[in-house]
Amino acid sequence: MNTGFRALFVGVAAISLLTIGHAAHAQDKTIKIGALFPMSGPGSYFGAQDKQGVELALEQLNKNGVNGYKFAVQYEDSSCGPLPATQAAKRLIEQFKPDVIIGEECSDATLAVMPIVDQAKVPLLNAGSSSIKVTEPGNPWTFRIMPNEVMQGINLADNAYKRLNARNAVLLFENTNAGIGNAQVFKDTFTKLGGKVLAEIGFGRDVNDFTSIATRVAGLGKIDVIPTYTLEGQGLKITQALAQAGVTKGGGGDAIQIGTIWLPFGFEQKAGKAALGYIRIVQFDPTETRDAVKNFSTAFKAKYNADPTHLNAHAYDQIMLIADVVKRGGKDAQSIRDGLAATKNYSGVTGSVEFDKTNQNTKMDTVHYMETKPDMSWTSLKWN
Amino acid sequence: MTTTIVLQQAINGVVLGSLYVLVALGLTLIYGVLVQINFAHADFVTLGAFAAYFLMHLVGAGYIVSIGFAFVVGAVLGWLINASIFTPLRRKGNELLPLIATIGVSVMMQNLMLAWFGPIPYAFETKYSSEVIRFAGIFVSWQNVIIIAVSSVTIALLYAFMKFTFLGKALRAVSQDRETAGLMGINPNQLIMLTFIIASALAGMAGAMLAPVLVLTPFAGTSVIVKAFAIVIIGGFGNVEGTILAGLIVGLVESYTTQYLDPGLIDIVVFGLLLLMLAIKPTGLISERREENV
Repeated sequence: MNTGFRALFVGVAAISLLTIGHAAHAQDKTIKIGALFPMSGPGSYFGAQDKQGVELALEQLNKNGVNGYKFAVQYEDSSCGPLPATQAAKRLIEQFKPDVIIGEECSDATLAVMPIVDQAKVPLLNAGSSSIKVTEPGNPWTFRIMPNEVMQGINLADNAYKRLNARNAVLLFENTNAGIGNAQVFKDTFTKLGGKVLAEIGFGRDVNDFTSIATRVAGLGKIDVIPTYTLEGQGLKITQALAQAGVTKGGGGDAIQIGTIWLPFGFEQKAGKAALGYIRIVQFDPTETRDAVKNFSTAFKAKYNADPTHLNAHAYDQIMLIADVVKRGGKDAQSIRDGLAATKNYSGVTGSVEFDKTNQNTKMDTVHYMETKPDMSWTSLKWN
Repeated sequence: MTTTIVLQQAINGVVLGSLYVLVALGLTLIYGVLVQINFAHADFVTLGAFAAYFLMHLVGAGYIVSIGFAFVVGAVLGWLINASIFTPLRRKGNELLPLIATIGVSVMMQNLMLAWFGPIPYAFETKYSSEVIRFAGIFVSWQNVIIIAVSSVTIALLYAFMKFTFLGKALRAVSQDRETAGLMGINPNQLIMLTFIIASALAGMAGAMLAPVLVLTPFAGTSVIVKAFAIVIIGGFGNVEGTILAGLIVGLVESYTTQYLDPGLIDIVVFGLLLLMLAIKPTGLISERREENV
């Protein structure tokens, strides 16, 4: 073997080794996603459904990877509460060292986690907390794809007044940041339009029997709408108690229960005929004809043999948006944060995403309205 | 209108109070005999609720039958857990061990139920939930009529059992003085077992009655147990009559607080009442000598 041929051989071998090494390295590259979901307690239905959406997204993404990256998720139970959420966030950051975190669902928990991710400089992508405090005045590391309480509340009050011709409202809400905040925004907008709020009734999450509250509501005279802000379990009991008291349409009354993104799909089947006429905002409309929605619904049904809920959908969107950022060059916490901030008109299954300077998604096409029909199915109202 | 509302809230309060009483009676029985707090009591309530739910939904049994089934499930589980966990620990002579074990049993039961039944709330509907009797502006669901009727009968039977039967008298003897009762030929261990069985059966039945009212998840019982503890204290530790009275008072206080103050203040009012009672009359509403409570 002469010297020239040997040099050529060594060169080719070295390049081959480098290429193989690089390919192997690329296959090993992983974007680590921490998931803070309530897996126990009254908000655990969020976590169960979020996880389904996440797992579907991972299955699709990890077939081929994105830009040479695979995605791995570590779940932590944040229990919909500030204390367990902060503990879970610390565990995630110290042990798993995520490139990005998704969650929590409950505003109080998200607000508690925000200073921790801020200090650790890990982006937090939120899809379920509505409190305005999550993005006001703004936190460089926290992003929200969900319409906040102000966006939802103003829209809901506007629709109640103009489309439902509602003039009298009674507000029912849990005594949490999100519950109080949502109710306040509705009240401010509704009264500004000329409506009247007859009562604001807040309650703790430990209240079980809502008959007394329904009795009080029934004694307030003519009521057009009852904006209600609770988790699913209490929501069921409130809806049934209001119907028993003859206040709402489901109980032969005139009032319509309305609400924002708190309740999962399937709520009306559990509540029964008491839910008749309930109008609420959901974050996902499976009747949309966009390909993204159709493909997601088909894939979800194939995997779980069930129709997807908006919780499934927004969890799926969280992962897919992260994948989009990775496609645009995101590879670590800082670049993923920057990529999220630079997102323009991303089209997910819940709607579009584009963040303002406070990292709040500005797109209102994520707000969908549904109304419960007499057969306990629901219809999309296409109000937005 | 005002009279109607006052009356309606009174009915609401009695219904809620009856449920609280059923939960609290088991706690007070165990405390009366063992001077021990059973932290797992809430989970017997939850399990009773699930037992009734699955009997109705899997077997197609009626609601009233499911209440009886939950009673039996509670009794069997009470016997099983007392025999396998609490009795061996009690034999070691350290009173702290069974107390701590009740916490362990509670956590274990909650997580087992979470694994079996999942975290998503169940809708426990009976045909009685949506059937409402309306008269003169008052409404009462048949569900609530059943709650009041079954609670009243259960409380009356328990009262009669404690006052007039040999076993009831033996229970009271054990609560007065376990050693002396033993010298009189009463087997305290059997009586302790009986107490656990009755208390757990009551908890199971309370679960079946509460299930249509509660948000049914593996943590359902914990939402009422704190109130039940408060009722036991307000009524007088281990005092059955006091517990019944306190339960009804707490139910009524909750209803009227909701109507005239704010439901957000319920806990402040109820636990304010508890502190007041501890300050003024620490022995509870109906005070007897401790040894004669049960």
